[in-house]
Amino acid sequence: MFERRLYHHVDWVLIGAVLAICAIGLAMIYSTAGGAGRVYWTQVYALGLGLIGMGIAASIDYRSLADKSHWIYLAIVILLIGVLFFGAVRGGSQRWLDLGYFNLQPSEFAKAALALMLAKMLGEERHSGLVKRDLLIAAVLTAVPFLIIARQPDLGTAVTLLPILFIVAYVAGMPMKYIYAGLVVAILAAPIAYRFGLQEYQRERISTFLDPAQDPKGAGYQQIQARITVGSGGILGKGFMAGTQGQLRFLPVAHNDFIFSVLAEEQGLVGVLAALGLYFFVIMRALDAARLAKDRLGAFLVLGVLASFTSQVIYNITMSAGLAPVKGLTLPLMSYGGSSMVATLVGFGLILNVRMRRFTN
Amino acid sequence: MDNAEDRRRLTTRLTVLRVSIGVAFGLLACGFWFFQVVHHGQFKAMAENNHQRTLTLRAPRGIIYDRTGKLLVENRNSFNISILREHSKDLDRTIRVLAAVTRVGERTVRDIVDRHRREPSYRPIVVVQDATLAQVAAVTARRLDFELPDVIVQEVPTRRYPDQDMAAHLIGYVGEASEEQLQSDGVTSGAMVGQFGVERVYNRLLMGEDGAKRVVVNSMGREIRTLEEVPPTQGRRVQLTINYAMQKAAEDALRNYGYNGSAVVLEPQSGEVLTLTSQPAFDPNAFAAGIDRATWSSLNTNKLRPLQNRAIQGRYSPGSTFKIVVATAALEEGAITPDHQVFCPGGGTFYGRFFQCLGKHGYMDLRHAIEKSCNTYFYTVGNMIGVDKMYKWAERLGLALKSGVDLPNEAESIVPSTEWKQRRFNERWYPGETISVAIGQGALSVTPMSMAVMMATVANGGTRVVPRLVKAQDDGSGWQPVPATPSPFPPFAMKPETLSAVRDGLWMVVNGAGTGRRAMIAGRDVTGKTGTAQVISLQGRDRARGKSEQDLRDHGWFVFMAPRDNPEIAGVVFAEHGEHGSSAAEVARHIIDTYFAQRDGQPLPVLTPPAPPAPPTPARVTAAATARPSSLDSARDALGIRRRAEAGRNSVASARRSLGPQSVAEPR
Repeated sequence: MFERRLYHHVDWVLIGAVLAICAIGLAMIYSTAGGAGRVYWTQVYALGLGLIGMGIAASIDYRSLADKSHWIYLAIVILLIGVLFFGAVRGGSQRWLDLGYFNLQPSEFAKAALALMLAKMLGEERHSGLVKRDLLIAAVLTAVPFLIIARQPDLGTAVTLLPILFIVAYVAGMPMKYIYAGLVVAILAAPIAYRFGLQEYQRERISTFLDPAQDPKGAGYQQIQARITVGSGGILGKGFMAGTQGQLRFLPVAHNDFIFSVLAEEQGLVGVLAALGLYFFVIMRALDAARLAKDRLGAFLVLGVLASFTSQVIYNITMSAGLAPVKGLTLPLMSYGGSSMVATLVGFGLILNVRMRRFTN
Repeated sequence: MDNAEDRRRLTTRLTVLRVSIGVAFGLLACGFWFFQVVHHGQFKAMAENNHQRTLTLRAPRGIIYDRTGKLLVENRNSFNISILREHSKDLDRTIRVLAAVTRVGERTVRDIVDRHRREPSYRPIVVVQDATLAQVAAVTARRLDFELPDVIVQEVPTRRYPDQDMAAHLIGYVGEASEEQLQSDGVTSGAMVGQFGVERVYNRLLMGEDGAKRVVVNSMGREIRTLEEVPPTQGRRVQLTINYAMQKAAEDALRNYGYNGSAVVLEPQSGEVLTLTSQPAFDPNAFAAGIDRATWSSLNTNKLRPLQNRAIQGRYSPGSTFKIVVATAALEEGAITPDHQVFCPGGGTFYGRFFQCLGKHGYMDLRHAIEKSCNTYFYTVGNMIGVDKMYKWAERLGLALKSGVDLPNEAESIVPSTEWKQRRFNERWYPGETISVAIGQGALSVTPMSMAVMMATVANGGTRVVPRLVKAQDDGSGWQPVPATPSPFPPFAMKPETLSAVRDGLWMVVNGAGTGRRAMIAGRDVTGKTGTAQVISLQGRDRARGKSEQDLRDHGWFVFMAPRDNPEIAGVVFAEHGEHGSSAAEVARHIIDTYFAQRDGQPLPVLTPPAPPAPPTPARVTAAATARPSSLDSARDALGIRRRAEAGRNSVASARRSLGPQSVAEPR
């Protein structure tokens, strides 16, 4: 299965960049968690586990995986349903399966599974372009995990499934008229959705985002604190473990959702640009893999994985600067979270997979 | 790839994605640049404001000692519980919880917070001053539970007056700085500043400088570490001119004999105040950590007016003590010599009206006229010199105008003159009025302090001194004398014959057949003069309103100095409703006795409580019935003499003992 010559096509540069991001994340977790404690070591183990997962995901030919994608997809959906019934409840939502030694968050893995499923479905179509029927099936395939995850409730993670659908459909040749129509509908529907589709707390988040000062102690608090955290970092930052906002807990879940704010505070604009550069590099490098992919399946798979990754990175960093409404959305590769780390690395394993098999038949 | 078109489209769309992502990252970088570079200063300040808190470290006020080094005022630590709105997420809830935890009414807490609502939110609002340990413990426990992150407990130095109400009017009290006081430098909101007495007048010396502590706090408001600490500088130590033993003796004696009133004792040469008391007093400890409304209003509505400093704010008729001024004026103006004789047939007719004396004294010279307090003599002499000469010498001796003592709100002593009457009533002075003034009646109204100054002037030979309360101060580098403010009164020396005549007369009042025998102390040569300030004529209407007998009894004065030659102390005792000057004299005796005992290193005298009231004395009734209001004072003086005669010719001490109770219990 793993031929020796494939070894030479492994994208070590991409792996290096990914590991560099992970290292920054670990350092920030070390800083905010006050040293090498339980949180830190959990993350280290997750990284190790993720690298193994990445190796496995890269080893098995993605075409073989795609052949079994419906089974993988089905397994994930069953796990997600299982979470609804047996999941551990934490912080008001039910996202985790308690497996004794660790908690598994199946929704993280749903992204890769969905990418694989959509890539297989749209990539193996014989005819050119994208027909309505394909789009409808893809939408349904996305909607199933989306709705289950949204029920947990974890709207944040659920929403990260949507870019997979859009991007894969987009590159698969979705006609531009659909795209324009979609944009028009979205613009028209937004106020209605805001009015009727959202919970009170969600509406509040959005309205305080637009004017955080209207409720500086309540919903606007985190956003204001995020801006203060970032802004007070300056060009060079306050120094490792010397940030005040993160260290003194003015910023909530600093090692998790707001880890990039802590980076901005302690390492300043220099650290921010370095991390942004790494992410940008990783994304561009992965896009290269899509461009070089041997077949549509490979290209779509890379883009599907990349779609949720990229959208999550951009959204989280925007939120970290206090420029987007606060959502419980982690920063892939940096934030604390075992399932996210493993799932993301597995995703990158798939990208490596596609790239290193670009010359094989 | 399936076909070229697909491939091309994929490439195009990949490029679109690439550019979009590039733009997104570019915008993000710009966003961070905007926050971290352009607005860095603003956010940096906000971050510091977030996690740094500057706490005021209140400076302990200076400690106050008496002239012998006895501690009068010190500090203790108390706890203030405050709300720091800056850290409030739900002020309403905080108020509710805090009220419940400290068992203070929710309404009260809300009122306090409302009162300070306009202040900046980083300034703590003190809700409970001088909190009990139980309150502190309850709040601290809630803080550990993160329940009250916006409530802080601060340790603050608080005034402690170990002798409670002793010298309360002199020492004064502290209170939260008023809006007006906040204007002056160095006073921050919530600071306790002197509001009364020495605490107020010497606030600048006593206040010290508040320190500050910059601490790092976490999001729950808990202090993590101290960044910077500027320790407070304690206020200067201040040494008063007060003599603790004498002050205590004065207050003990007034209480022992059951009088309200006042006593002031000065050092005649320097004007240093050795004793200054006003009774009833108040306990300044009640003000130390902010006085509660109930105590404050009860102090204010109390009919006995405990907040009034009678020594400088109470004005009374001087009665016979004014004869000292008349005698001095007549001698210094050369109107008479000490040997000038006047015949007393029991009164005299001046300007067509008969003015009574209380005895038929026969031929009297000045010395004996003072001793016997003969009205006829002073009517005659007063008539000779006129009211303006009397005023001139009253002012020169210190009886008129303000004494200038370093205490706030001193009342001006009034001694009439033609000019004064013109100014005050726009009326001409009638010579007949002079006759009453000559024996201390009429429009005279003086404070105990001015009486004390008068005696100091007689004692030092003629220089009117300005009483002062502070002897020295120490900013930590050793005691430095506090220089006296330059006196507006030039040094003056009275004629030796004036001094000897007046002093002889006053000596005889106490040691001869005078009215002040209760102040006599063997071997101490106490000299003095009694006086009676009428109450009835001034407040006659109150009788109809059913005021108690006690309220209508006359006030007793005793002015004194000791010893006769080279006097070391001079002063006054004012016994409210003491009926007669001899009641004040026995209070004075204890003060003087204490002074000499302390000076000579002897054990301090001990007071014996007065015996229960004796039955009415017929002689007293007769005297009162015959006495006309204008000469009531002299009637009392005469009465004193008569009683003393009745008491027998035993030793002085036994006479004093046997007379004490009678005097106190004088019936009406």
